[in-house]
Amino acid sequence: MSIASIVGQALVLFGTFFYVLSSLGLIRMPDVYNRMQTATKSATLGSLGVIIGVGIWAIGEVNSYSWISKTLIIAVFLLLTNPIAAHALIRAAYKSGVPLWEGSIIDKYKEAEASLERVEQIKEALGESAKEVEKNE
Amino acid sequence: MVKRVLAIVFILIIGLWMAKALDQVPFGEDRMLVGKYYLDHVKEETGAVNAVTAVVVNYRGFDTLGEVTVLFIASTGVAALLWKKRKERSAKTEGSVVLTTGARILLPFIMLFGAYIFIHGHLTPGGGFPGGATIATAFLFLYLTFTLYEVDHKIFEPLEGLAGIGYVTVGLIGLAVGGYFLFDWIWQTWGVGKENIGRLISAGFIPIIYTLIGIKVGTELTGIIDNMIKEPEEGGQ
Repeated sequence: MSIASIVGQALVLFGTFFYVLSSLGLIRMPDVYNRMQTATKSATLGSLGVIIGVGIWAIGEVNSYSWISKTLIIAVFLLLTNPIAAHALIRAAYKSGVPLWEGSIIDKYKEAEASLERVEQIKEALGESAKEVEKNE
Repeated sequence: MVKRVLAIVFILIIGLWMAKALDQVPFGEDRMLVGKYYLDHVKEETGAVNAVTAVVVNYRGFDTLGEVTVLFIASTGVAALLWKKRKERSAKTEGSVVLTTGARILLPFIMLFGAYIFIHGHLTPGGGFPGGATIATAFLFLYLTFTLYEVDHKIFEPLEGLAGIGYVTVGLIGLAVGGYFLFDWIWQTWGVGKENIGRLISAGFIPIIYTLIGIKVGTELTGIIDNMIKEPEEGGQ
């Protein structure tokens, strides 16, 4: 057994461990946002471990370097797409009004939207008063 | 409740019946009759390493032509059902910055991968239909991310038709050269790439036909998406 296959097997084991953690998080976490966090982060890391580990394992086991290039491409693609998908899902969940967990203390996004609305109202009021000033002159 | 129970009983009876019938077929035994011929002769007769694409395009090319026709009819049917003179997108909110940037970065890679799948149809798993579907996915991504995006219909529909015509033309050249429709003239008559089986330039007309099918399927599915994602403008016809 060569070093490459040992490293590959270790990486696959590492990735599977994080898969298990991620599925545990799906059961354990209280609301959608927390679940998405555990599912995305640890599942991405686990997939990277498993995918690259298989590529390295193939170097040691069958002495072929064609696997590692393909697995690297898949890994980079996954690394690019998974966070984007998670971002879109969480954003859609927030916009469609999925409530936060009761224990969460702070919701800066809501505050920011409220303050933006207030800024718009002030702008409108300013515009109206400016028109009135023009009329008076 | 009674309806549901009756339906479950009915489905169970059908399932039992089918299981009884399939029980006679042994699993994991060598029962190939025609399949053996394909596996033994696929290399010297078609030049393809991927036996599935050789069967689909070469031995049974009529089925693939029929499938392409079905897709074409589906696309035309959707277009005919949803036809309105003035149409615009119903979505008004653009995706977030992460999504639009991600779409810009990923789009060429998805298209490249789709092209890779259908060009290498005779060497790796895949072929024209998965490759075309991948390319249509790239366009779906654009449609979902940007509110103003629309494909150029002056290029897209003619390209779809030209790819279909190209497929039939390749078959007709086979009819003229070899005597029957979809005869593999590049491999059987010209013998292009006889020495390098398993490399890119081999397998007769399979890569050419799969490139045409890939373009056709990609543009067709994109056309279906385009038709279904748009709504008639208010006040329009």
